[in-house]
Order: sequence, then C-alpha cells, then structure tokens
Amino acid sequence: MNLRVTRSRPWIWGFAAAALIWLVILAISGQGGGQTLSLALSLAPYLVIVGLGQMLVVTAGPGNIDVSVAPVISLAGFASVAVSAGTGSALAGVLAGIGVGLVVAVVSTVAILGLAIPPIIATLAAGLVASSVTLHLAGGFTAVPDPGLRELLNLRPLGVPALAVAIAALTWLTVVLLRRTVYGRSLIAVGQNRRAAERAGVPVSRVIATAYLLSGALAGLTGALLATYIAPSADLGTRYLLDSVAVVVIGGTLISGGRAVPVGVWGAALFFILLDGLVNLVGWSTAAQNLLKGGLVLFVLFLAGGGDRARSTAPRLRRRPRPAAATTTTTGDNSDG
Amino acid sequence: MAELLAPTLPGRARMRHSAPAAVSALALIAMIGVCSTLQPGVLSVQGLTLVLSATVPLVIAAQAQMTLMAVGDIDLGIGAFVGLVTVVTATKLSSSPLVGGLVLLGLVAAYALLGLLIHLRRVPSLIATLGASFVWLGLGLFLLPTPGGSTPEWLAAFGAWQPAGFPAPLLPILLVTALVHLLASRGSAGVRMRALGSNPVALGRAGLRPLTSRVIAYATAGGLGVVSGLALASQTGGGDVSSASSYTLMTVAAVILGGGSFSGGVAVPWGAAVGGVTLGLVSVVLSLLDVRSDLQSAVQGGIVLAVLAGRVLVGKVLR
Repeated sequence: MNLRVTRSRPWIWGFAAAALIWLVILAISGQGGGQTLSLALSLAPYLVIVGLGQMLVVTAGPGNIDVSVAPVISLAGFASVAVSAGTGSALAGVLAGIGVGLVVAVVSTVAILGLAIPPIIATLAAGLVASSVTLHLAGGFTAVPDPGLRELLNLRPLGVPALAVAIAALTWLTVVLLRRTVYGRSLIAVGQNRRAAERAGVPVSRVIATAYLLSGALAGLTGALLATYIAPSADLGTRYLLDSVAVVVIGGTLISGGRAVPVGVWGAALFFILLDGLVNLVGWSTAAQNLLKGGLVLFVLFLAGGGDRARSTAPRLRRRPRPAAATTTTTGDNSDG
Repeated sequence: MAELLAPTLPGRARMRHSAPAAVSALALIAMIGVCSTLQPGVLSVQGLTLVLSATVPLVIAAQAQMTLMAVGDIDLGIGAFVGLVTVVTATKLSSSPLVGGLVLLGLVAAYALLGLLIHLRRVPSLIATLGASFVWLGLGLFLLPTPGGSTPEWLAAFGAWQPAGFPAPLLPILLVTALVHLLASRGSAGVRMRALGSNPVALGRAGLRPLTSRVIAYATAGGLGVVSGLALASQTGGGDVSSASSYTLMTVAAVILGGGSFSGGVAVPWGAAVGGVTLGLVSVVLSLLDVRSDLQSAVQGGIVLAVLAGRVLVGKVLR
C-alpha cells in the first residue's frame, strides 16, 4: 500500500483490517459471506454511534476524552426502557436516553470548563455518579423494551439492516458538520491549536462544551437503542469505553486532536465486530478473543505508525499547543471521508 | 520544568507545586477524622492496618502511573496488568518460583518493549496501552479462566504479617514511595524522564537519547505494576485478572489528586501516594458510614470532584 495514499486517507487501515478478517471468516466457514456482512452491519452501528461522539471529543484537542460513555450507555438503557414502558411511546424512551446522556455530559462539562478539572477525571467522576444511579435503578427492574422499536432495529430489507443505513446517514451528517459548518471548522481549529483559535475569535469554551454534550447525547442514544435491541443491564456499556476510544484512533482520528475521520469509525467498528464473529466461529475462548483483539490493535497501530518525521516525539496528551501539530494539516483536508 | 527548578526557588513557587498534594492530604486527614469519630477503634494499630491494607496495591499502581505521566504518557492498561500479575502469582509463582519469577520478569520486559515500540513508531501511548490491556486480559484469562489459585506461602505470610507497634500496610507504602522518590526526583534517570516529559527537544540537544528515557520509564512502570500485583495477591490469597480493573482510572485520578499533570515533566511520588490512599480510603469510610453500596461510587466521584475543585481554588489564591 502506497504510503502517501494511507497518509491522506487514514481510514483505509480499519477497512483493510475488516476486509482481511471477513476473508478469513469466508475461508473458514466456506459459505455465507453476505450473511456475515449483514450480521456485522447490524451490530456495528451501536459502536459507530458512540464512536462518533468520542471522535468529536477527541478532536477537541489534547487531553480531551470522554470516559463516561460506558456508564451513560448503561444508565440510558434503563432510563429509556423505563420511560417507554411507562408512557407506551418508543420515541419518548429514546429521547429519555438522549436526555440522560446530556445530563451526565452537563455535569462533566461544568467540571471541565468551570473548575478546570482534566477531562479524563471529570468524565470519570460524572460516570461514577451515573453508575450509582444505574445500580439504584437496576434493583427490581421489571419493564421490558418496546417491541415495536425492537422490530425496527431488527429490520433487514434485502439483508441490509435499516439501522446501518440510518447510522450511515448520521455519519454523513457528521462529515458535513465537520467540513461545512462553522461549528465543525471551529472544533478542528480548537483541536489543532487552542490558543490560536482563541486569538482568532473562536468561542473555545462553547465549542468544547458542545463536543462533550454531543458525545453524551450520542452515548445516550446508543444506550437507548442497545437496551431495546438486547436488554437493559448494569454492564450493558462496559465494553464500549475501550472500544469507542480504540475505533476512533484506528479509524485515523488523531488522538492529539485537530483531525477527525468519521468514516474511519465505521471501518474500525466493522473490524472489531467481525473479529468477534471470527473468534466465535472458530470457537475460541474469551482469553484468545482478547489476545487476538489486543494483538491486532497493536499490530495495526504499530504498522500504521503515527505522526510524521517532522515530529520529534510521539503525539501525546499535552496541554501546551505544539507548533508541529500544524504539519499534519497542510493538506487542508482535516475531515477525511 | 517546574519540578527541576523547585529546590532552588523559595517560598511561593514551591508552595504552588506542593499545594495540590496538600489539599489531598487535608481531605485524607478529614476522612480519617470522620472515621475515628464514628469508630474510635480506627486510630488503633489494628484499625489502621485494616483501613490501610486495601490501599497498598492501589498506591503502588499509582506510582507506576505517575512514572509514565512524568514522561507525558498515560497507561490505560495498568489495571489489567496488575490483574494479570495476581494470576501469574496464583498459578506459576506458587507452583514453581523459578518459572513464576521468569514470567514476571518477562512481563516487565514486555512493558519496556511496549515503551520502545511506542517511541519508535510514534504512536500515542493512550491507545497503545489500551491495546496492550486486551493482551494482559487475554493472557490472564488464558492462565486462569476463573478466579482462584493460591498464593505462595511467603507472600501469604507477608499479607498476614502484623507487627506490634505500627500498622503493617504503612511499610510497603512508605518503602515503595521512597524508592520511587529516589529514582524519579533525585536520580539521574528521574531527571531524564522528567526532561522527556517537559521538553524532549532539549533532552535530545543535551546529548541524551529520549528513547532510553522512555524505555526506562516503561520498565519502571512494569516493575511497579508487578509489585502492586504481588501486594494485591498477598491480600486476596488468589488470582483474578479483573480484580484490579478499576485501578486504571483510579491511578490516574490518584496522580492528578497528588499534583501530577497530563503534560508530563512533573514527578510527584509522595503526592501520588497521598492521592492513592485518599481514594482507597473513600470506600472504607463509606462502608463505615453504612452508605449503601450502590451509592458508593457516586460519593467517590463527588469527593474526587470536590478535592480537585478545592485545588483550583487554592491555585487561584496562590497565584
């Protein structure tokens, strides 16, 4: 693979890895390649939604990360199922889930911007509060998910899950948001150099706050849909914390901020879901599943490498703006895909 | 470079540097105070042993996290790593000390290798250690699918050791923290590590290799992770790969509470110890207060936020 191609299209790695796993599955099972893909497409959207939110937060600059997504997903799951069972309206349930995500995000945003607490700690603390409420709700929970919405989530005309199409549209909207709107441009500018953006008149605090609120809302949406698709449980969101960060970075988004790659989230999410499918197919234990997942993540990461030659050290979490960060953006295309 | 200059600067600058840890220490004293009014027995040697023992592995793991945060990196795999060490301890180390010891050394080497690759391939430590955490988890499940096993006798004896006159858990906490202090704040390796965190270009210009500094930092973190796992296994008496999963974020919180920063360049071994004990004590205090278990994590989150908010206020006053 040509180096220049991979550098200007960082999302290729995720899709390449997904395609490779798909081919391996095809070779082992010998049939039903389309079915595998259809199943992967019905599971990947959940990871994509929460991944898109995480991507927006990560893009806001060094140190920005949302570790409250896992407890938010669990809490939103319970809240949305409870509300939809209480009101009889699936829409109200989904909105309740999104609302829960927003409330938790407001707590962490106030802590980050108002109290200058590092985002990883602020979202951790907000998440701890959310998980407490989840445990409180989980005791004696009897409501069942809305059957209508569950049917909708399982809908697969011509083998293509309806949810995947909807989330593909959401991804496209995110691309438009990042490329064409003032907000998206401001977010990328803040991520590249916060001080420069501030001097240029970008309302930095408002931009960062919006990123966290969007992430919270998207995590809430994931929780509402996931709880309807599977069932509400206290550890519904647990795996989504590590996975959401991993898919964002494998997808090509810079962890140091300033470059968002929404399409890459899809490639990496498909890679993760297909990997789970492969391990289930071969009948490996969870031990091998984790080993393979970790090994492949590290392999893809070290193979793709990060940053460019101009940078003397690895891109790391740091608050100080680095002039070198500008070199990654000379192509003028910061929202690939 | 604040830490490098601190010994030469008098008064205010030094105070500003140690203020965060002081705020955490105040929170710590307040919590012990609350404990002792509720349960006067807490202040006895036995009470302190009981209260402090749960914080030992967390404090040591926080030192590992502090070492990496000093070079400007972050370790999101430390929880799974500590869990893996307890599993190795409960299986290999108890059946054959030689094999077990070699495996543990291999794990430290794996950490050094991780640091090497992170540096050479210029990848963010956050995601690399995240990927590594899956590997640690997988290895742990591979060795011991369900929690169990037994710790070697000498380790169990250490866990049950109760000397007269002072609380036993204080010894490992003070010993490890003093060692890390010697290494990170006094030794030349520490200067290199902090220089890498604060200004890698200057480190390179000084003729020292940033690569070496990073590998030393990762090897140190791996070694401390192993010690933390041994301490945890000595208390639980068995191995469980997910027994320390909460450590990953708790150690980061402990370092931040102790005055560390994400941008690197600052080593706060004593601060991290205070932060770790504070966080570890929260759950003890809450169970003493008879707080319902489902409310405990909310109170824990609230205390972290309150201490950090207090720190911001103190920082404003000092400025």
